[in-house]
Amino acid sequence: MRPSTIKYFVREGLSGLKKNLLMTMASMVAVAACISILSFSYCVGSNLQYMLNQMEDSIGISVFLKGELTGEQIENMKTEIGKIDHVESVEYISPTDALDELKQDWGADEDIFVGLDNENNPLSHSFQISLDSIENQNGVLTALENVDGVENVRHGQTETELLLKANRIFSVASVIVMLLLGVISVMIIMNTIRISVVNRRVEINIMKYVGATDWFIRWPFIIEGIIIGLVGAVVPLLLGFPIYAKVTSAIFQYLPVIKFIQFRLTGDVFGFLIPFGVIFGIGLGVIGSVTSIRKHLRV
Amino acid sequence: MIHMNNVTKVYPNGSTGVENINLHINKGEFVFIVGSSGSGKSTLMKLLLKELDPTEGDIVINRVKTNELSRKQIPYLRRNLGVVFQDFRLLPNKTVYENVAFAMRVIEAPSRIIRRNVPAVLALVGLGKKGRSYPNQLSGGEQQRTALARAIVNNPPILICDEPTGNLDPETADGIMQLLDDINKRGTTIVMATHARDIVDAMQKRVVTLQNGHIVRDIEKGGYSDEA
Repeated sequence: MRPSTIKYFVREGLSGLKKNLLMTMASMVAVAACISILSFSYCVGSNLQYMLNQMEDSIGISVFLKGELTGEQIENMKTEIGKIDHVESVEYISPTDALDELKQDWGADEDIFVGLDNENNPLSHSFQISLDSIENQNGVLTALENVDGVENVRHGQTETELLLKANRIFSVASVIVMLLLGVISVMIIMNTIRISVVNRRVEINIMKYVGATDWFIRWPFIIEGIIIGLVGAVVPLLLGFPIYAKVTSAIFQYLPVIKFIQFRLTGDVFGFLIPFGVIFGIGLGVIGSVTSIRKHLRV
Repeated sequence: MIHMNNVTKVYPNGSTGVENINLHINKGEFVFIVGSSGSGKSTLMKLLLKELDPTEGDIVINRVKTNELSRKQIPYLRRNLGVVFQDFRLLPNKTVYENVAFAMRVIEAPSRIIRRNVPAVLALVGLGKKGRSYPNQLSGGEQQRTALARAIVNNPPILICDEPTGNLDPETADGIMQLLDDINKRGTTIVMATHARDIVDAMQKRVVTLQNGHIVRDIEKGGYSDEA
């Protein structure tokens, strides 16, 4: 394709958008709404997943053993637990180690442990179990019930279940809303392009008589769709970038309770979101214009 | 150059546009297609432009059997056919120059060739100084000259004219006919549908008369209704 032809397509595409400014704006807003939801869903969803991953790394299952167990029994239990599906590793923690760790955790307030030592240690033998995925926690818990010598089990079930549930509900809801907005965007773009086709019907008619190929006639309308999609995507993405940074830092500032978790870095989130959002927006524009041309342009 | 062999067109509603047409036009000929409204002139022109396909028979243009062309090949057939309409069909938001250049742009001609050919063709049709005017600033005759320039700028071997003088006063129409005659003398085959008895009589070219979709008369050189 000649550069002058490409220039011609872009010029015609832009002039089509200008002539039909109101519908153009409406289409851009529709795409922007779709991309905003997409971005919001991705930010929340990927952060929920990120938190789940962090929990997987940091929260395993703690299994506390009954008091009177021999070293051999403990070793057998360790082997037995290690064989449970989805268990990645089993680490034995002796009461001495547990006490040391506790003292370390409390740091300056270590005084409250005065009088507790290896001879006088109320802590029990325990295993720290890590899993391949946090989603398999329930299965492992059930299997642990059948292991002899287990006194009790502690795990972050409530928190993880809540996060898992939130992640699932959020994923499904955002996909539904995105699909709905996607369809609405495509329909509005189709209408915009249809009006543009009607505005240019004389021109198209002449083009056909002087021997323009179907693609030559289609390109300016596809360019219109691409521009609508591009502008509709870029605006919310550029606005989203500082908003994400502000919101995550505000959460840290005003909600210290959740300091134990971390948010994904703005650069990481938008490093994916910007190219994906732009391609998605352009995709909506192209689908809208191609469908409309096929429907309304008998070329 | 143009061969219509036993061509019949029946529309989906059952009405017959043309029936059993056999028409052969040689390179460089100037042919008038005449007949009253509803005689089949428009159908014939649309068949030549492949806006319609014949129900029966073959149409061969420039050695290409148009019935066998796929949709994708139609534009390339049309590049051999310049078209002029009664209502000019100019783009009101483009200047005279742009309207003519448009026809070259559409077939992706290089800008250099466009810049060279458009002024030459405008000069040929007598609009050398009107390139920057918009269609609404032109007279009817000038608008039709612009349309004519657009039709010939790609140098098609065949020019199809559908009532090109229908909207013009007799004096202006004479000017357009003079121009068409000049174009024909440069080797372009011209097929012109018209109602204009005076013009046909004055030009003394080949005249094909249609009536109820049939060719009822085809004379080598003559007037609108000689011997009819």
